[in-house]
Formats: sequence, structure tokens, C-alpha cells
Amino acid sequence: MSGVIFSTWRDEFIDNRDKPSEEWSQTAFKLPETYHGDTGSKAFIGWDGVAIFDEDIDAVELANQYAAQYQEYSEACGRCAPGRWGGRILYDLLDKIARGEGSHDDITHLKEISQTMMVTSKCEIGKTVPKPILDLMEYYKDQFDTCIDDQIPSKHYNGDTSYIAKVTAPCTDMCPAHVDIPAYIEGVRDMVFTESLQATRQTMPLAHTCGRVCPHPCEDACRRMNLDEPISIMELKRIGADYETDHEVPWLHPSEPKPARNDGKKIAIIGAGPAGLTAAYYLALEGIQADIFEELPVNGGEVAVGVPEYRMPIDKYNKDIDFVLDMPTVSITNNHRVTADRLKELDEEYDAVMLGFGARLSKKVRAANENTKMGGYWGAIDMLDKVNLWHKYDIGSPVSNELEGKTVVCVGGGFTSMDVVRCSIREGAKKVIMLYRRDEKTIIRNTTYEEYHEAVEEGVEFIFHSAIEEIFDDGDNITKLKVNMFELVPDPDGGRAQLVKMEDGDFEIECDYLIPAVSQALDTQILPEEWELEMTSWNSILTNGKDYMTTRPGLFAAGDCEYGPMTIVNAVGQARRAASVMSRYIYDGKCTLLDDEIMEDHLAKLKVYDKNEKITGWMPGLPRAVSEKLETEERKDNQKEVNLGFTGEEAIAEAERCMRCYYISMVAV
Amino acid sequence: MSVHNSINTGKPITLTIDGKTCQSTFGKTILEIARENDIYIPTMCYLTKVKPIASCRMCIVDVEGVDGVILSCQEKATEGAVITTETEELYKERQNIMTLYNVNHPLECGVCDKSGECDLQNKTMEFDVDTQIFTTRDQHRPVENWGHVSYDPALCIMCEKCVRVSTEITGDEALQLKFGGYSSTIVNIKKEKNYASLGEAAAVCPVGALVDTNFKYTTNAWELEKIPSACPHCGGGCQMTYEVKHDKIYRMTNNFEFTSLCGAGRYGFDYDNKNVSKDAKAFAAAVEAVKNADSILFAPQITNEEALILQKIKEKTGVKLISGEARAYQKFMQAYAEVTGKTLYSGRLKGISESKAVIVLGTKIYDDSPTVKYHINMASKWHRARVAYMHPLEDLEMKNIVTQFIKYEAGTEEGVSALLVEMLLREIDVPESVKSFLSDLDIGNLSAESNVGEEELEALRKSLIKKSGFSLVVGSDLYAHPRAAQIAKILALLEKYADFNVVCVPPAGNAMGVSLICDLDDDAEGLTVGYNVAADFTLSALGDGDLDMPALNQQEGTLTTNDKRVVPMNVALPYGGYVLNDIANALGLNAEYTIEYTKALPADKGFEALEFDSLPDYFDTVGTEHRGYLLSEQETALNETLDEIAELDGFDGAIVYQCNPKEQFSAFTSKCEPITEEVFLSGSKQFATATKLSDGESISFIIDGVTFKRVFKIDTSMKGTIALNPCYDMGLSAPLVSSYRFSRLEIMQENSKIGS
Repeated sequence: MSGVIFSTWRDEFIDNRDKPSEEWSQTAFKLPETYHGDTGSKAFIGWDGVAIFDEDIDAVELANQYAAQYQEYSEACGRCAPGRWGGRILYDLLDKIARGEGSHDDITHLKEISQTMMVTSKCEIGKTVPKPILDLMEYYKDQFDTCIDDQIPSKHYNGDTSYIAKVTAPCTDMCPAHVDIPAYIEGVRDMVFTESLQATRQTMPLAHTCGRVCPHPCEDACRRMNLDEPISIMELKRIGADYETDHEVPWLHPSEPKPARNDGKKIAIIGAGPAGLTAAYYLALEGIQADIFEELPVNGGEVAVGVPEYRMPIDKYNKDIDFVLDMPTVSITNNHRVTADRLKELDEEYDAVMLGFGARLSKKVRAANENTKMGGYWGAIDMLDKVNLWHKYDIGSPVSNELEGKTVVCVGGGFTSMDVVRCSIREGAKKVIMLYRRDEKTIIRNTTYEEYHEAVEEGVEFIFHSAIEEIFDDGDNITKLKVNMFELVPDPDGGRAQLVKMEDGDFEIECDYLIPAVSQALDTQILPEEWELEMTSWNSILTNGKDYMTTRPGLFAAGDCEYGPMTIVNAVGQARRAASVMSRYIYDGKCTLLDDEIMEDHLAKLKVYDKNEKITGWMPGLPRAVSEKLETEERKDNQKEVNLGFTGEEAIAEAERCMRCYYISMVAV
Repeated sequence: MSVHNSINTGKPITLTIDGKTCQSTFGKTILEIARENDIYIPTMCYLTKVKPIASCRMCIVDVEGVDGVILSCQEKATEGAVITTETEELYKERQNIMTLYNVNHPLECGVCDKSGECDLQNKTMEFDVDTQIFTTRDQHRPVENWGHVSYDPALCIMCEKCVRVSTEITGDEALQLKFGGYSSTIVNIKKEKNYASLGEAAAVCPVGALVDTNFKYTTNAWELEKIPSACPHCGGGCQMTYEVKHDKIYRMTNNFEFTSLCGAGRYGFDYDNKNVSKDAKAFAAAVEAVKNADSILFAPQITNEEALILQKIKEKTGVKLISGEARAYQKFMQAYAEVTGKTLYSGRLKGISESKAVIVLGTKIYDDSPTVKYHINMASKWHRARVAYMHPLEDLEMKNIVTQFIKYEAGTEEGVSALLVEMLLREIDVPESVKSFLSDLDIGNLSAESNVGEEELEALRKSLIKKSGFSLVVGSDLYAHPRAAQIAKILALLEKYADFNVVCVPPAGNAMGVSLICDLDDDAEGLTVGYNVAADFTLSALGDGDLDMPALNQQEGTLTTNDKRVVPMNVALPYGGYVLNDIANALGLNAEYTIEYTKALPADKGFEALEFDSLPDYFDTVGTEHRGYLLSEQETALNETLDEIAELDGFDGAIVYQCNPKEQFSAFTSKCEPITEEVFLSGSKQFATATKLSDGESISFIIDGVTFKRVFKIDTSMKGTIALNPCYDMGLSAPLVSSYRFSRLEIMQENSKIGS
């Protein structure tokens, strides 16, 4: 490729136009110089500037097409005066110049309307669209002048170039499921809760669930953080879902589900967890038959049997599940364990198979004398299964039979371990200790601030910088643990601080139960050996992370079995992409991506959120709303939902803090 | 109950706007605080009574130390902020926005109904937009007729005010945005119904895009005389203004920035008693009739002053005063007061709109009182309020607001009240007598008889956990119930012990005023005189009696509202005949004008000794209501004794429910052409099967001595065996229908052929 000829991207100014190639400046950004495969890209234009990769670029038409894209976007908006009329005028004037009928007065008016849009528009899209257009008008002035002075069309007007655009936002880009966050927040602000939910469901069928237990990576990419505090994005999601449930609204789909195709094509999905449900939903929305096979008698996967009721009430999760299973082309078979042999049959019988069976084997803590068969040694996944099957489905027996009055030690640091310790408290354990190798800050980063503090309030004792060296037993049961303590020693050379074992730091804990919650692995027995599927270095199923097909054609994988233990929203994002790819694969046998998906991946690489950007036009110092939680005494001995959700006033105030950071990006190819 | 306030609203703050130090509280927007301090910031889309819309961007201001301009309508003010509302740059941007608003706006002000009161016109002048530098292709957009209102998209500036009132205020959610950038429009998704609340949308429209269809092209806005008044129809007494020219009302407007008006108020104005002159002979007969009357029957469509005149006549002649609905309400409230110790219910409409949970019991509230329904909708939209709707009929038009419908058997209201109160007081400290009343309740039996499942109540209880700010709205089903007094006392426990904002919605008209002013009797006897009621001698503002009387838009006087306010009404149209005061004077009372009685309204019921002409009638710049005065609460004697629950007498079989359709309240609204509809007895298919009635069949039946001849119509949206029977069309007989609203349908056999 020729490289970056010109760029104003994010305050980086590159102008290599009249320089010999050895003197060319290089860009620090991962700009989409190649579009996809062998297809090169001529230019990239977006909210933060413009980058030119081809000397033959038609800058006038590029600006015109970018304005046209804004015009198209605003077809879906038009919510403010400057954006509604301004966008139209911008496009009309640019097109007039590009087709050779413009005047220099038009340039003046373009600058004027751009100024008003940049200062007064409601959302960032209106504020940012003029920027690269003004850049082009300044740095490619000669092309504009030629069109005006000679009254001729620009050189590629109506020509041979394709322009591919995508609207995104920093939060949307960061969300693994790419949820249209500003849209669902706008639905709350407008108090049209049905629209809020429909916006969510464009890419996220589990609105109740991800409105409650999502670790919200989006909030780390919220531009509001540059001003004061990020929007409480996750909690606003449940408002729409709760509205649908409270008012018994018929299921709200993001678009009218297509009729069943009934063309004999069908896809098998292994596992009814977030990945399986998501894939089934988006396939069914297209009218494609999706048959889910689930080992457990209950649906929902790890979120159902792993995440406790007090965090994720099952009646709410069941709404999400029913929403998917009510689709006419989705079927489910429960109590159906898919073995390697059965998988081979399904592989034969179906046009494509998607694996979404999660990672449900608890890993060991790697201490001396670790015997998984020893009494009192209880894997986190098994323990949580038992807790949840009892409380949510009346299956089995209460875990208080085991834990009441007992001392429980959990080793972990992630969400699963938090669930273990907080459930242990609720099951009546006398003493609950969490051992964690790293510090408080890290455990909060790995889970959430609320999760950690609520656990502390409920009486969990956290011992940081600790690890089990040896497990002691009496032949039948675990009796005590030998624990090492570590300290964080800064690297004198400024490198990463190292955990160093403290001399004399060792101590012993007498305990009845040791519940390792360090990580989970997938059950690879399901995978037929002769398929020789390639695995990742951490022993999950390998795909290219774009189309989610495994090394066996027609076999796809999404969620924890692909990524390793990760989040619900990650599983949803992967499964939706896999569903999209499979919807084409079953007809043409090819793994292809839509332009929208290619752009999505480009933007993720480029990174949309800029933590150093200065925010203008918003009042700083407006606090983030925090929903009410049940008091410790009201919650610690039962499964009542802890988070009561936003009041209406809080929800609207929070939605009003959202700056609607929509951006348009566009590639010329 | 714990108060959770994570965003710290209400904390005092100090800020500076245009050099002026302003004290306010956190949570308010910059614009609100500016208005509190009489500082002007221009807006095009701001509407005080809804949440900030933020579409016009005109209200931008500068904040010291903050880059860029700040949207003052939406952004909350923070402590110490230094704000400037006018600079050259702000002016330029505002001017550009106004220029944009004028792009392709048709230059047809000469024939536009909004001309003269148009925000676009006004702001275009204000910002000196005299040339158009921006151009774009025009588009063809035809005018749409939505019934009461017509919509011209070419004039629409997409401020979204109409959509917001439809969402946040009236709650019918009929109007929505159709996104389309430059071609964005407003769509009416409920075109099949002529929503009278569309009038509310037209009222808030800042330009000529939404105009009343009947008003269109009839006059220029500036030719109309504006006569402030209050709406007499449902008992809400909403603020409104008659707009009159040549003794004709052209339209009703209101102070839409702060208050709302339903369709009856907006379109039900054409009911004056026309072409009346003084008929001395009839008058003499009327005086004689009143003098000799044993009973005066009257409809609640009268002013407080007229009610007092009737009371004075009673005091003079000993005549009985009969007004069925008002009497039932009076007795209900007297029993209610025995528990609370106060003459009035505690609740206010604002309290409803600020509630986190609202329970509605014994009223088809959307039909009975649109304004109360609007306030419940506000609670739903602004506070995500739980709304439990307890009634024998589900109202599907409330579905977007209600979170739980609890259906009970008609007739079992006493048991339902007891079940509800027992559930809500379960964890609250109450005196021993109340506790034993509640613990003695046979919950299982009450639940079985009323058909209210214990699990339904449990679901309701669960949904209220950790919530505070509850309202209870009760209505007319309860007042004429045989056990009304006991029901009143049970429900009053919620006001007294659980701090509920309780509103006992009075029956339509001025029933609340009448119930407070008149010493009413139960049964009529002997010679009768009727005032807007058929009697031996009838005084009628409907024009078909023995002596004409003025309608309420031809009188001055006050009304008592369901928000416990005494509000003034002024004369909109001339009237040439005699009035009640003339009769009273002939009987020896002495007042030159009716409004001399305003200052004499009973102080022991909370009225104030104020002259009519001294009553204020306005909203200030921040929307505080200064209309008339609020009734004051008076203490009354306590008698908290509760009876045992009587055997629940649920109805089975085919039942008729007395219920007027939306925006119809009386024989007066019935006269108003824009809101008239065909009248039916409407019921479900199940009702048709149970009664063996077929769609379109004519039947007759008698309720409270009034014979109804009705065409039966199947309404497929209805369920169950309760049919709706309006009575607003029954003229002078309508007020006679005042017993318990549910009754068994007993068809008069021989008459069933008459209509067919």
C-alpha cells in the first residue's frame, strides 16, 4: 500500500503530498489503509479528521459523500434544529459544488452552517461531521476551487468509488455486543421505554440480564468520564425491559421477524446459555430454523445456574429466555447432553453447528495436597449449581445443609468467586474468607465496586496478596489451609511491580470448605478427537475472532467455549456475529462478513474512545445516579434482589447526562 | 421509610446569572433558576410542564470555565456556576438557528391561524432574521386531518412539544416522531380514534402546524377577547380561557405552559342557554313554585354561590335539598372524616404526579376524571410509578400506565378495601382497635368472594417494597355503595396511618362544592322544584324547563375543584333571563349579584371570606398556581369505630355500569357538537351471549326511575359481563341516576320490540 498521504486524524497532522517517500511521516493510528482482504482503501473520514491513502482522491466528492452519509443518518434522527436543517444544507451545498454548479458564496455558507452545527447540535454527530469537511475544504482547496471556477464536476463525481459508512459511539464500540447505547438511553430520556428496549435488542436479546449483571466495559469508554463520571449505562438498560414486563407488552423486536423460511436449512446450537440464545434469536429473526440442545433441564446456561438469584432474579432472566424461545423457528431440547458422537451426528444432519457450551469445569488452585475428591473440596461451578437449582427451580436440596455454621474459604477474585462467598453468607456459613493474590483495587477492577463492597458489608473477610500453599485433611475432610502472604515490590527500574512472597508471612486457616473459583475450563470431551480442532493456548476453541468458524468448516463456536471464561456480553457479541455469518454460510458455504461488520472491526482496532479528548458544551459536575440497594440486614440471609434499580427521576436524570456521542466514519474504496 | 436520593437533589446552591446572585436548589436547570429570577433566556421547544426536550438549542448560555455553550433547559445548575445568557456569539448562533427554522417555512402568515401568537414569528423578529442565506430543496407535504386537530407538516418545526404532552401529560401516546432528518414529521398512530386530548397538542404547538380543525380559518387570533375561567365539567376546575368575538365562543385556550385541559374542557363550550329573555310570568310561577316546594332537586352543575343560595332558601323555607351524587359523596366524606378528623382528603393532584406508586380503586378514572388520569400518567412517566388499577373492568386504554390490573366482583368494594388496607398496613403500627379489626378479617373468605387473589395482593405488596410516596385514588363507584360509610372509614386508615396521598375524586360538576355548602337530604317528597333536573316545576339552563336559567358559561361564580381549590369563573356569553339569585331575592334574600355570596361561603368547611373580585387567577413565571384559594382543612370529631365487614354481595349475571365516555360528563357537554358521539349500551361478546342480545338490538331498561332506550353494541375490546351505559345524554333526567353505579340489567320485555 501507498501509506498515509495526508491525515488530520486526532490532532495528528500529516501532509506527505509533496515529499519524497523516504521523508514521509508515519501515522501512530491503526487507520484502515486496507479495507478487507485485497481491497485497498482510498481514504478514511470520520469524526476526528480525514486520512487520505490514494493520491487520486476526489476530496470534493469525499466531503460530499460524507455529508450524504450524515444526511442518511439524520434520516433516523433529525431531533435538533441545527442537525435537521444543517445536515441537509451541508449536503445540498456540497453536492452543488461537486456537480460543478457551486459558487464561492456556497463555501462561505458552508463554513457558517458548519460553525452553527459544531456549536449547537444536540449530539456529537452533528458537532463532528463538519470537522473533516472543513479540513478537506482547507487542505484540498484547489479541488473545490476548480469545481467552482471552471463549473465542472469533481473528478470522480458519479464515478467509480464506493463509500462505506458506519455510525458508532465510543460506548457502542467498546461494548462486545455493540449495543446502540445512545439510542436506548434516548428512549429513557424521551420516556418512550418501548423504543429504548427495541434499540437494545438490535444487538442484545438479553436486556433484563445485561441490564443487571453486565460488567459494563462500555462505561470505561464513556466520554462523560472525561468530564465527570461515566453514565450508569448498564442500569439504564433494564428500564425498557422492566417496562415490557410490567405492562405485559407483546414482545418488542428490533424489526419485524421474518417469516419462517421452511427451506430445509437448519442450524444446531449446543447450549442454551447467552451465546446459544443469542445466536438462535438472530437466526430466527431472519426466519432461519435454529435447534438448541441443552444438557440441563433448565435453560439459560451459567447465568441461570451460576449467577445467584439476588443478582439476577430468574423470573427476569426467564423473560429474556422466553423472548428467544417464543420465536417460531427456535426449538429447544433439554436434558440432552451432546457427546462427541452426538456432535458428529448433528454435524451430519445440520447445515451448520454452533458450539456454545461454555466453560463449566472449575480449575484447581494448585496447592500441595490438592485432592478434588476430598470432603470439603467443592468446585465453585458445582457449588453454585446446587445453590441456584434449589433456589430458582426447587431442584435438589438447600446448600445450607452443607454450609450452615461452617467456615468457608474461597480462592478467586472474579465474579464467580464473589458469587461463591456471598452465597455462602446467605446459606448461613459462620465465617467466609476470600483469598486473593492481588489487591483490593484489582478485585474491584475485575468485578465491580458494588460487588466488592456489598460482599464486605455482608461479612466476607478478604485477605489480599494471599495464596494457598498446602491443604491439610484428616483423611475424610479438609481441616486447614496453609496460606502464604505476598507483597507488591515496586520495580526500581520503573517496570511492573512484582508480587514477592513475604518471609514470616505464612499462616493457617482452619476451615470446613475450600471452594476454588480461580477460573473455569471447558469440557473438551464433547469435541471428536478425529476432527483435530485447533485450540488456543489456553485450551479454548480457536476461531479467527471475526467470523467465529472453527478450523472445521461448518462448525462455529461462540461464548466461553471460544474465548475462555468471559462475560455474558462477550458471548452475546460473538454469537450474534456467528449467527450473521452462519445465515450466509448455510447457503453459499462461504464465511463472509457484511460491510457493517468489517467497519465494526476496523473501528474496534482504531479505538473510538479517546480518554484525552476535552469535552465541550456540557455542564461538568453532575453526579452519576446510584440506584438504591437493599440494606445489608435485609438481604444477607435471603435471595432478594439487592439492586432495586433506578427511580424514574434517577433514570431520567442519568439519561440527560448522556452526550449522545454518535460518530460517522466512512471509507472510500 | 428510607429516603434514597443519590443525586442529592434539593441541596441549596448559589450561582450567578448575568451578574445576579441566585439562590436555588440542586436539581433545577439553569433555565428554571433563570426564570425564578426573572432572567430571560429564549427558547423554542421548552415547555415547563414536561421534561426538557432539548431540540431547538436556542437556550444556550455560557458558563465560566466551561468550554462550549451549555444547554440551559436541560443542564442542571451547579454550585458557584457563573452564567452569562447573552453574548454576541450566543446571539449569532440563536440567529442562525432561527434562520434555519425559516428555511422553506411557507410564507403564508396572512392565512395562518397562528399568526399573531406564533413563536416562530416572534423569534424571527426578535433575532432580526430578515434575509435567508441558507437554501435547500423544498418538499411536498400535505395537510392531514386528525379530527379535532389538523396537522400541517410544512409548518411544523419539530419542536416535539406535542409528542411530549401526548407521552408525559395525557398519556394516550397517540403522537410520535417519525424520524426522517429534514423530512421528519409528527405522526398520529391512533388516527382511528378522535382523541380529544389532541387539543392539548394543538395548544402547545408554537407554530401553525397543529390547529383546531373547527377553529381553522374562522378568525384572527388578535380579534378574540380572552375571558379567563375554570372548566365546570368533571370537577377538576381546570384553568381555561374563553376566546370570544361577537358573543360567540370561538375556542378555548389555557395556560398550557403549566396546566392542561382535556377534550371536554377544550371542545365542550357550546352549551349556553341561547336567546333567553325575561319572562315575567314564568318567573312569578317559579317564585311561587319554590315558595311552595317541599323539595328542590338539583344537578351538581352549579356554582358554589348558587349552592349557597339554595342552602339559604332551605334555611328560610325548610325545603329539602336533593342532589343524589353530591349527597352520596357528602356522606362518604363525612364518614372518611370520622377517621382522619379532617373535613377534606389529604391528597393533591401534584402529589399523585410525584408518586412512586398509585392505587386506583372504584373508578373508571380515565372517563371519570381525565385530569386525574393525566396526573397518574405523569407519575408513571416521571417516576416509573407502579400503578395498580382495581376495578371490575380492565381499561385497556390505561394499559401503558397500569402495571397491575386487579379485577374484583362488582359489589364487593368493601371487602376489596379491607383486603387492600390489611395488606398495606401489615407492617405499620396502628392502634389496637384498628389492629384487631384487621386481624379479625377473614382474608380467605374476602378474597374468594371478591375474586381478588391473595397472590395478586402479594404481588402488589412485593412491588411496593422500599417505595415511598404512595397515592390512593378512589372514585364514584364507592360513594353510592350501600356500605359507602364503612368503605370510607377503611380507606381513610391509609391516609391516617400509612401517609397515603389520598384523593377521593368527587363526582362530575361541582359536587364537591355542593357537598360542602349544602345541608343535603336523602329523599325527595311532596311538591318538587328541579334545577336542571326534571321536577314538578323545572328551572333549566338546558332550555327545556318552565323557567330558563343561565348555563355555567353565562354566569360568574366559583367552583370547588378536586384539587381542593376554589376557583373563579367569568361570564363568557350574554344571558338575558332570570337567575337563581332573582328567585332568592323574591323570596326575601337580599343580594344584588350572585357573587355577593362568594364571601359568605361556609368558613367551617374551609372556605374563605373573600370577595369574588379579589380572587386571583394566574400562574406566576415559574408555574405556581394563584387561582382563587385552597380550601383549608377543618378539624372534625373522631369516630374510628369500624364495623365488621358485611356479607359481600357480589353481582353475577349481566351487569350495567353507569359510565359516560371520555370527555362527556353531563347534559351540558352532551349539547356540544364537537364531542358528541352516538350513544350505545356497549358490552362484550360474552355480555351479548349472557343476555341473548345481538349487536344493534334496541332495548329498554330502568335505572333509578329513568327509562333508558338503548341500542346494544358489541365492543370487541371488552371482556366479561359488564356493559357500559352512559347517561349524559338523558337531559334533565340524567341527574336522577345517582345510585350505586353497577346494577343488574333487567330488560323491559314489552319494550324490546319498540326500537326494532
